[in-house]
Amino acid sequence: MENFFLVLAYVVIAYMLFSSLSYLGLFTIAFGRVKRESQLDKKESTEDYLRNQFTYPVSILVPAYNEEVGVVSTVRSLLALEYPEKEIIVIDDGSKDKTSDRMIEEFKMTPFPFALRTHIQTAEIFSIYQSSILPYVRLIKKANGGKADALNAGINFSSFPYFCAIDGDSILENDGLLKTMKPIIESDGQVIVTGGSVRIANGSTISRSKVEVIGLPRNPVVLMQIIEYFRAFLIGRIALSHLNILLIVSGAFGVFNKHRVIQAGGYNKNTVGEDMELIVRLHRLLREEKSKQRIEYIPDPVCWTEAPESLEVLRSQRIRWQRGLFETLWIHRKMMLNPKYGSIGMISLPYFLFVELLGAVFEFIGYFIIFGGFFFSLVEPQVASALFLVTVFYGSLISALAVLLEEMTLRKYPKVSHLMRLYFWAMTEAFWYRPLMVFWRVKGIIAVFQKKAHWGDMKRKGISS
Amino acid sequence: MNIYFVWILSFSLFTGQLGLLVILAWRKLKLSNREVAIDQEYDFLSDSFSSYMIDTSDDRFIDEIQESPYKFVVLERLLNNYVSLTKAGVTSPIIAKLSEDFLAARYAKQLNRRNWALRMNALHFIEDFHIQSLTPLLKKKLSTVSQLDQEAQQLIRTLASLNEPVTISVLGRYPNVSARLYIDVFKRLDALTKLEELDAALKNEKDNKLLKQAAISYIGMAGLTLFLPRIEEELQYPDEEIRIQALKALFHMQNMTTPELLTPFLQSASWQERMFSAQVAGALQLSRYKEKLSDLLGDPVWRVRYSSAEALTKFSDGDILLTHIANKHPDRYARDMATQWKTSLLGSEQ
Repeated sequence: MENFFLVLAYVVIAYMLFSSLSYLGLFTIAFGRVKRESQLDKKESTEDYLRNQFTYPVSILVPAYNEEVGVVSTVRSLLALEYPEKEIIVIDDGSKDKTSDRMIEEFKMTPFPFALRTHIQTAEIFSIYQSSILPYVRLIKKANGGKADALNAGINFSSFPYFCAIDGDSILENDGLLKTMKPIIESDGQVIVTGGSVRIANGSTISRSKVEVIGLPRNPVVLMQIIEYFRAFLIGRIALSHLNILLIVSGAFGVFNKHRVIQAGGYNKNTVGEDMELIVRLHRLLREEKSKQRIEYIPDPVCWTEAPESLEVLRSQRIRWQRGLFETLWIHRKMMLNPKYGSIGMISLPYFLFVELLGAVFEFIGYFIIFGGFFFSLVEPQVASALFLVTVFYGSLISALAVLLEEMTLRKYPKVSHLMRLYFWAMTEAFWYRPLMVFWRVKGIIAVFQKKAHWGDMKRKGISS
Repeated sequence: MNIYFVWILSFSLFTGQLGLLVILAWRKLKLSNREVAIDQEYDFLSDSFSSYMIDTSDDRFIDEIQESPYKFVVLERLLNNYVSLTKAGVTSPIIAKLSEDFLAARYAKQLNRRNWALRMNALHFIEDFHIQSLTPLLKKKLSTVSQLDQEAQQLIRTLASLNEPVTISVLGRYPNVSARLYIDVFKRLDALTKLEELDAALKNEKDNKLLKQAAISYIGMAGLTLFLPRIEEELQYPDEEIRIQALKALFHMQNMTTPELLTPFLQSASWQERMFSAQVAGALQLSRYKEKLSDLLGDPVWRVRYSSAEALTKFSDGDILLTHIANKHPDRYARDMATQWKTSLLGSEQ
């Protein structure tokens, strides 16, 4: 038995070293990319697109379920976007609260008989409203069908060739849409999806739907999520996007070529990871067509969202994410290690399987052996120590590196104290936050076989005053 | 597994990070102080800058900016703000002079730096401030360009803003060039050069279809009615894409000398031609096509139905026509579309 745990410990150590090194590799790629653009005058490089006929009009889709607290401020922030032509469509997916009432009241909306196209089947549409003061603000009231279904309804209803999907609790920076559309415009449509960085708004001052002062929250759970987002967005996504093997564009914010999404069949209602699943399906479509079109990610933080402050909500969110990841990999298992799908099949999907999905299982085993090694002589203390060190390396040091990367490039947090606090908390990650995440992610894998899909059940406080 | 290896790896990364953290914290402090100083300097110089822009004989600003430790950054910000806030900024001789005197040499250096972002910023500012003296340097750079990447595209735009029509022939060398770039060039050339280049593009002597398309598109967007007869001629062109661009241009120009030219397009096999001709008929309120537009509300393509209904709203009796169609049209989709448009004549934000 001791031998079994010893071998297992070595496997976990080898796995973690491999994963850490792969992260360092991604870090190197990401650093080059972000560093290259960090000194670029963003205003100069986008101002021309404000008055350009090739700045395609965009339909902004806001799927909302029980978002009475944040939906109006989200729409307000969207109204303030610097973008030449847009329409805003809020899709109330059978909310039980006053999401629709808030919209109808705030924007003086009246029922409107739109001639709908049905590209994708959705749950029943009850009614469509249009604002009498801002006619490009619309509301769809429909039967509950999940976020994917709500987005599909928005796609059916939208009139423009590109749509932007944004969560009902998020705030976009004024030039966020323009920045995100830039790769699409500059590539003359060769880029079919762009994702932008999502940042956590808790702790920052958002007034009148605009980020006024960037700050850090006091709650360590939220602080850790900020660090996690750095790690995911700044290291992972930038590097994967650079290699054109990005598999996730955050559900909180992304811009899509509508024609391509309809061609791919829209959002999948049978998974909770509809955002990732769509991206993988689009990659699949592109590879099968041998198309040169691509999916890109921009490092600029353009979207601010509210992070869960309680462990209970965070647990539910992480279980849902992990479950979504599992479901997506399962749905597209045919692509896995299939040379027909190029780097997506040979690198990206295996990476997501072994590092993002099974990583939780390996780490879980690792924590178990460390605990067992130190307290119950499950393995020699020397081996347990080695395992402990790689766990800290993988958990804390890589996250701390993400904090430093942010500081070296984007420098969104203005104070030295911000940097110090983020670094300090990143160093604590392996000791409390990561074990929690690992545990929930393992539960997420188990949840695949148990639960039905549902919207996240986070109680919003609202991020804008 | 040798534990020392893991120890060394972790410890090296940790100490490396600590070192980096100290450096970054120090840099952050320094940058933050610098930013405060620049902001103060900017505020301090704003008054004298405004006075100088109104009356150049009040040259306090020149002395003050020369003494400023952040003269490049502050001047760049002042000029950039001025250019973006005032219409005359782009053509202002004072802006040109200030940027030539203080910034041209700096940008010339930056254009040769290895830092991509700095080169890009320099190109943008040269364009904004119209720094003519850098034209030879930019042309030299253009001659060494081997692929049409982001930087090369901006280089072409910057040169076009300095009125260099050679950029059009340079673009013609690249197979992957888009109409967007040609239009960017047309937009930036000065009035006379622009007319000459548009004329040449329409003649299409170099057999560059994309350039011709871009020229038609630009003429429409800019509303250059001088070219109206030429655009109408293009409606007879054998290539469908050119015809579509010509229809779009007519829609933007909201003008036609021979409206009957539209007739074949309203029954074309191409849905884009049907759609754009419906839009033109609406924009020009061509009553003779009302009946045809009513028929097109039953078109199999949604966009054609949408544009036809929208076109009908432009007529003074559009609401009556749409009410009639909403009640009587044999096609359900046509009735739905007519109902939508009669309820509101408003669409998306323009």
